[in-house]
Amino acid sequence: MYKSGLTIWYNVKNMDESVKYFTEGLGFSLDFKDEKQRIAIVTTNTKDCCIGFAEAETVAPVTSSAVFEVEDIEKAYVELKERGIHFTGEIETIPNLVKLVTFQDPDGNSFELSQTIAD
Amino acid sequence: MHVKEAIQFTHQLSGRWVMPILLHLHSSGGRFTPLQKKLEISPSRLSDNMTKLVSAEVVQRLTPYDRRHPLLPEYKLTPYGNSLLEIAMVIQSAEKAINHGPLHRKNWNWPILLALFHQYDRFQSILELLGKPSPRILSTRLKELCEMELVKKEIKEEPKLVYTYKINETYRSSMAVIWKEISEIEGNKPNTKD
Repeated sequence: MYKSGLTIWYNVKNMDESVKYFTEGLGFSLDFKDEKQRIAIVTTNTKDCCIGFAEAETVAPVTSSAVFEVEDIEKAYVELKERGIHFTGEIETIPNLVKLVTFQDPDGNSFELSQTIAD
Repeated sequence: MHVKEAIQFTHQLSGRWVMPILLHLHSSGGRFTPLQKKLEISPSRLSDNMTKLVSAEVVQRLTPYDRRHPLLPEYKLTPYGNSLLEIAMVIQSAEKAINHGPLHRKNWNWPILLALFHQYDRFQSILELLGKPSPRILSTRLKELCEMELVKKEIKEEPKLVYTYKINETYRSSMAVIWKEISEIEGNKPNTKD
């Protein structure tokens, strides 16, 4: 029934700012952009997983988080901070499970980095 | 629809932005920013106009929670809005056909033309049919329409002298076509449900 593919769509205030944030900031690549319709899609660290943006007059930030897996969360945290990503708090550890850190895009949507802790 | 309804509908369509918004909403996918770029209007001005159209029940605003997907419309036409769009399309091509545009930008132009076409030929009877305008605005518009040679002002000698207004001969057949098209449109009123 299913095939490989997952896209998370967000309403955003400004498509260009979001694209800049996700490409220059987070380091993902731009996949598609329609200047007239004001929509864009970026690819993520995972094959067939994309994030889509469409401009809207009213934006209600979503509370669920898209979580990106990283190799080394401390390193990623420092590197992304240098690139201007504003993290909401410090790295938190859920023992024997994951390390997490949260950040928000320009519209206040929540995202996280996660590093699975191997026993 | 009847002439009185047509007058109300065309009056609702007057102004700088109502017709362009209605005519381009669909091709913008009902979304705010594509519409804003297309019309080259400032976001705050478009926002104000949309708010007015929402309270006039011409369009319905969908909240971020009503929308299943960010690509779906933020605004959609109500049945009343759809009737207005049909009239807007007639007016748009009519203004091209009679080579006088954009008449709809100034209020009362189209209601006056419709009244004149239906043989309301005296100032007072036009004023009453239109309902709301001040005598001053009506006389200004009539004067402008006469200057554009769309309307002809004549003096009739009855027991006393009266002025009468007519659609200029040249435009009468165009007006007949326009009226036929408008009269065939179903006039959904505000509050009409889907």
